[in-house]
Amino acid sequence: MYSEILANEHEKHEKIIGTLSKRFTTYGYKRIKTSAFERYDLYSNVRTSINQNEMIKVIDYTGEVLVLRPDVTIPLTQQLVQLNGNLPEEMRFYYVQEVFRQTFQENEKIGKTQAGVEYYCPSSPEADAETIMLACHALRDVGFSDVKIEIGYAGFFTELIADLQLTCEQTAKLKTLIQAKNIVEIGPFLEQLSIDQTVKEVLEQLPLLYGAPAHVFERLLNLQVSDSVQQAIEYLQETYKIVELYGLKKHIVIDLGLINHMGYYSGIIFQGYVENFGKPVLMGGRYDALSEEFGIKLPAVGFACEIDSLVKAATHKELTERYSIDITVFYEESRMKYAIDITNELREREYRVISKPMKHPLQIQDSLYTIHLTQQQNQLIEEETTEFVDFKHLLDLIVRKKGVPEWTI
Amino acid sequence: MDYLTVAMAKGRTADRAMDFLEKSDVRFSDFTDESRKLVIYDDKQTIKLIFVKAVDVPVYVENGAADVGIVGKDVMMEDPRDVYELLDLGIGRCKLAVAGFPGTPVDEMPFLTVASKYPAVAKEYFDKKGIRTEMIKLNGSIELAPLIGMSDVIVDIVETGTTLKENGLVVLQEIAEVSARLIVNKASYATKTADIQQFIKDMREGLEVRA
Repeated sequence: MYSEILANEHEKHEKIIGTLSKRFTTYGYKRIKTSAFERYDLYSNVRTSINQNEMIKVIDYTGEVLVLRPDVTIPLTQQLVQLNGNLPEEMRFYYVQEVFRQTFQENEKIGKTQAGVEYYCPSSPEADAETIMLACHALRDVGFSDVKIEIGYAGFFTELIADLQLTCEQTAKLKTLIQAKNIVEIGPFLEQLSIDQTVKEVLEQLPLLYGAPAHVFERLLNLQVSDSVQQAIEYLQETYKIVELYGLKKHIVIDLGLINHMGYYSGIIFQGYVENFGKPVLMGGRYDALSEEFGIKLPAVGFACEIDSLVKAATHKELTERYSIDITVFYEESRMKYAIDITNELREREYRVISKPMKHPLQIQDSLYTIHLTQQQNQLIEEETTEFVDFKHLLDLIVRKKGVPEWTI
Repeated sequence: MDYLTVAMAKGRTADRAMDFLEKSDVRFSDFTDESRKLVIYDDKQTIKLIFVKAVDVPVYVENGAADVGIVGKDVMMEDPRDVYELLDLGIGRCKLAVAGFPGTPVDEMPFLTVASKYPAVAKEYFDKKGIRTEMIKLNGSIELAPLIGMSDVIVDIVETGTTLKENGLVVLQEIAEVSARLIVNKASYATKTADIQQFIKDMREGLEVRA
């Protein structure tokens, strides 16, 4: 029934919000709210990618034009700026709020719930790495195991083309080609422009600067770049080093062809993807310059995700998952104690486990792994059978095969 | 096991693409020319091929319903989507062109009526030239439009030019060369990087064997 589907959706929605809020709190973030109405002027004066046509406008009794909150970052930053410098060096806020954008597609909602964090702090690889870790951690909490975070650098492209004197149209075309990683057309396009050979080379390589960090950084070594671009690369490398310490190595993809998706980003930018979902579920980056538009320096890094996308991605995951149970443990009577211990430990690590004595071979659900505990041996059965000595060994085997995030071990 | 889902339109381009893959030992034994199946798997069960209408290929890929798509550049030009465009397969080569009766002075006309399957491409082309236009979107038999006086010219795909010739029309101006492209969903490229790069490699090897 439709009403049931609706209620289910809502329940999932709330559950995800709960999960995210809890995780944000453990990183020291405090929840804030911003007003539903903002002054239109606030948005018309700031460089942002929110199209003015997308904003829902309202007029109050004095004739002033207001907009229904199109985002949270901008008004929050402005509010803090108004407190006029009496601010601690570091502030961590999170929010769960609806943002409103007019959509031009028929069945898209105008109001969408966003959850996000804003970490006001001086620019440093440590802060950026921690924020990326939080993004990854939050997505894992929601239940995704194959989380990928693409990291780029907002200034990279702008720095590269800064001295080229391209027309708006040429810049736009070049952006489109790079965003589409259109290696086929980018060469001929650059050929038409009379630009410096070394810059041309870097621009041509830009779509290929994608993939495992080690691989991308190695490619960068062969390219000649200006000092400011080199600094950006070093910052990125520093950040990645720390991200690696967090145990996120296999979740990170570097993409230097990633171009600033919100007008105000200035340093590291990133977006998060999860298994079997075709769109990014999370977007973020550093926006040191935004506060300067209001007159003071208040550097910050943050990200936001749309709850609806997460609900969709999670539902999709449930539907495509082949097994609803990860592990079934069969045991001989004499091994009952060990079976219970293993089951407890596995459940503690969030595996879904069922355990049964061997003498009752009832029909049970298919599971990814089966464990047989007999008097003589412990066996882990998947496609092939492997013996394991103790629990640690078992975990090693499972992790290697299933690819659970490294930091859970 | 997760499949790599590949979307393409049935027809010559799909056949050629499958030839390429076969050279890299990716075979679709299930598939025959008469088959009406819309979903087929390769023999190693790693690739799932879905057949959709050509104009829908980018839609499937952008939404992640397919990881990879093979589609003509003309479709991408008419309806640009947020996807990666990684490879020119060099097959299905043809031209997007303005066609009409011989001697039609396109550049001197103050106002043009244009019939096309590609109204967005056509409009952009004429806008750049500063020619005002009225677009008539048609879905087939475009050549008919000038014959019955519905439009001054047409903008369409021209391969051999036979259809034009038989209807007394000629190519007046060329807009762009087009060929089949390999497009990739941005999320899939991040989450299935290895599989997709393998697929691209297989395709490329096929291309090279041919060349």
